[in-house]
Amino acid sequence: MLESAGVVLVGGRSSRMGRSKADLDWHGSTMLRRVTGLLQRGVDGPLIVVRAPGQSLPGLPPGVEVVDDPAEGRGPLQGLAVGLAVLQGRARSAFVCATDLPLLHPAFVRRVTRDAGLADVVLPVVGGHRQPLAASYATSLAGAAARLVSEDRLKVGFLFDEATVVRLDEPQLLADPALSAVDPGLASVSGANTVEEYDALHAQPEPEVTVELSGALVAGGLDRGRHTVRASTLGSAAASVSVHLDRHVLAAVNGDQASRDPEFPLVRGDLVTLMSAGAGG
Amino acid sequence: MADSSPGGYFGRALVIDVSDGSTRVLPLPERVLREHLGGVGLGTWLLTELGPPGVDPLAPEAPIAFVFSPLVGTPLTTSAKFAVVAKSPLTGLLTDALASSHFALSGKLTGHDALVLVGRAAGPTTVAVRGGQVELSDARAEWGASSAQAEASVRARLGGGWQVASIGPAGERGVRYATLSHDGRHAGRGGLGAVLGSKNVKAVAVHATTKVAPADAPGVLAAARDLRTRSLGRATSKVRELGTMANVLAYNALSTLPTRNFSEAVFEGAAALAAEELASAHAVTRASCASCSIGCSHLYRDKGGRSVRMEYQNVSSLGSMCGVSDPEAVLAASSRCDDLGIDTISAGGTIAWAMECAERGLIDAAWLRFGSGAALLRALDEIGTGTGLGPLLSLGSRAAAEVVGGDSLTFAAQVKGLELPGYEPRTMHAMALGMAVNARGADHNRSGAYDADLSGELDRLRGGDAHVRGAVESEDRAAVMDSMILCSFLRGVFDEPFAEWAVLLSLVTGWDVDADELRTTAQRIVLAKRAYNLREGWTPEDDWLPERFLETDLTLASGRTTSLTPQRLRSMILGYYAARGLDGSGRPPSVQT
Repeated sequence: MLESAGVVLVGGRSSRMGRSKADLDWHGSTMLRRVTGLLQRGVDGPLIVVRAPGQSLPGLPPGVEVVDDPAEGRGPLQGLAVGLAVLQGRARSAFVCATDLPLLHPAFVRRVTRDAGLADVVLPVVGGHRQPLAASYATSLAGAAARLVSEDRLKVGFLFDEATVVRLDEPQLLADPALSAVDPGLASVSGANTVEEYDALHAQPEPEVTVELSGALVAGGLDRGRHTVRASTLGSAAASVSVHLDRHVLAAVNGDQASRDPEFPLVRGDLVTLMSAGAGG
Repeated sequence: MADSSPGGYFGRALVIDVSDGSTRVLPLPERVLREHLGGVGLGTWLLTELGPPGVDPLAPEAPIAFVFSPLVGTPLTTSAKFAVVAKSPLTGLLTDALASSHFALSGKLTGHDALVLVGRAAGPTTVAVRGGQVELSDARAEWGASSAQAEASVRARLGGGWQVASIGPAGERGVRYATLSHDGRHAGRGGLGAVLGSKNVKAVAVHATTKVAPADAPGVLAAARDLRTRSLGRATSKVRELGTMANVLAYNALSTLPTRNFSEAVFEGAAALAAEELASAHAVTRASCASCSIGCSHLYRDKGGRSVRMEYQNVSSLGSMCGVSDPEAVLAASSRCDDLGIDTISAGGTIAWAMECAERGLIDAAWLRFGSGAALLRALDEIGTGTGLGPLLSLGSRAAAEVVGGDSLTFAAQVKGLELPGYEPRTMHAMALGMAVNARGADHNRSGAYDADLSGELDRLRGGDAHVRGAVESEDRAAVMDSMILCSFLRGVFDEPFAEWAVLLSLVTGWDVDADELRTTAQRIVLAKRAYNLREGWTPEDDWLPERFLETDLTLASGRTTSLTPQRLRSMILGYYAARGLDGSGRPPSVQT
């Protein structure tokens, strides 16, 4: 069984935003596409999106599973219960987050899920606030979460009373050099609940990433050296060095994923290597 | 063309007993040709028909087949290729390898779709085939020479118009991963050179005596023009401009460059071995096989001024796998492999395994350490001369591990005895499956499942159903391309491969072939190889990867840890069996255990 999976809760009413947060633009992509992609980069298991019944969603990365809340408007605990239930037997724990965390960094996800073996819940505490929708939950909590929903005890906090919980405060989180190097302000948990919050986050400079070219792309006359650019997506990073992501081009991000998806989300510190597609030899 | 044969075929194979030079013509019915095409497909059929069950691969009665294809001799780019098929002394199972160039053209135009050698000559021998005439001649003058030297010598002796395929000293000595070469191209994998050497055959020479016509010559010419144009597009730009060496930096960036016997997947010395660097420091020239418009071969000059043909697999096996980042050492090692006539992948893989054994104290060889170019070259020399560790390393890593014992088999990077090529299975799960289940062993030619891993359309670190589909599709495509035969570097230029290949095959043969028929043919060829292996002792445990890949995690440059668990691999293998119509133990339902 895999250690960590991911769950994105997208079925909320977005009442304070006034429109679906999932569909909001994020530098040429959408909030949901970005958050699911970021979470995929941080976990090693399946990724589940839990939506309201029949809710229309923007495009998602390959491999993401979509499941429905059984009822609308029952809050995040219901979505958490559904997501964890789908993952039972497939992963020991899941990082669960909402769709309004566009600055979520995979390094934050990895730091939190690293402690998943220590307790049922790994709960970050940032700025004095608990972050239950940027936390790790054992999939074995699915039953307890479902029971709480059936009892109309809909706050996620009720689940903590029935589980072992490890809290990670800011010093503990930032003691991880991999995280502190790329997200020293713990902006990963910055939510966009209102239009004003969204506008403020959106107005921040896009993440600084490094782009390098290899193979025939260099032989084709482009500059091989490393380029520091600001880009939120792979497509934007490639365009900044005059490369169009078509079937003849492939990108490696930090030696991790191989992609040519223009909406593949980038974060601060990423190294993007663009190369000619076509393996073999 | 024989009167009753379809276009592109002669409808017969020539079986040559090298013990006495006697021959017999084996008719190849049209049904057999249509069902197996040529190349590795027809070769598998021939080996099944002519090879005694359970035969020792190095016994006189074990056949070795040089198999041509319907496309050979047409103007279709990259079609001048031939397959060599035999039972492998390295794996004990089927092996098939392709080589290129004029031998394919002249061999086919002897008037045969295949030449099959059986028997054992009394002493070093050259087999010369001209039409239906076969002449055996003394090859003592060439014995001990490199394949390139032997090729030149035999051609000089026989005169103009002859094309020669030869083995090097390693084939004579029975090194289990010895190659068979022609014009600098090698039928490299599985020890075909040792099979030929066991027959005391140093070289096979062929001379064209006839012609073969396609069914629709104008149609083939038009298709050839179109294919040539497409072969010069972006789909092949990587191999044209930098050759397969372009993969070095790319695969390093993807955490899939095997390093120090697969203990890591990122090599700190990769930049020094990359095409981008070598091209500037070692003047490079390009070369093409006969009838090829791509020209993937890139030749570098070593410090002695000698040209060395370098491929990605040379660099990954002799460079990063052995921890050697000195380009001069890797160039010299590649050149040494060519001179000896050994497969660079198995040589590098076996030496890297031995380096790890030495560092763990399992082999008493203080000189043999990762990172030492001198040790790499000494190990190759000992393989070539049969001195020191040579006899042990000549066995390949699996058999050598059985000699050395301890836990050395767990880190021998091989499948079915064939060493892994330059792809890290833990970061390429479709390729991991492909290497586990392929008939030839850990194979990157008959299974190009890396295409799926690097398609950007699936998560290469989370193998599942999509990876199974990718591996099956890759095997099917390779089965057709390797049987028609077209170079695998062309595969990116086809938008609808099976349909387009069906058109080409129909133009050449006159058959009314469609994509569905070719897909069925592909499945038939893949299963025919499996059936041959079953007959020769394959067991379900052979479709598996070594412990190293299943018990040890890898840390990627991103900081993410990845693994390939036994459960995930087992799940993919079962998915593969189901897709192939096999039972849960990998056997056709009709085969009883």
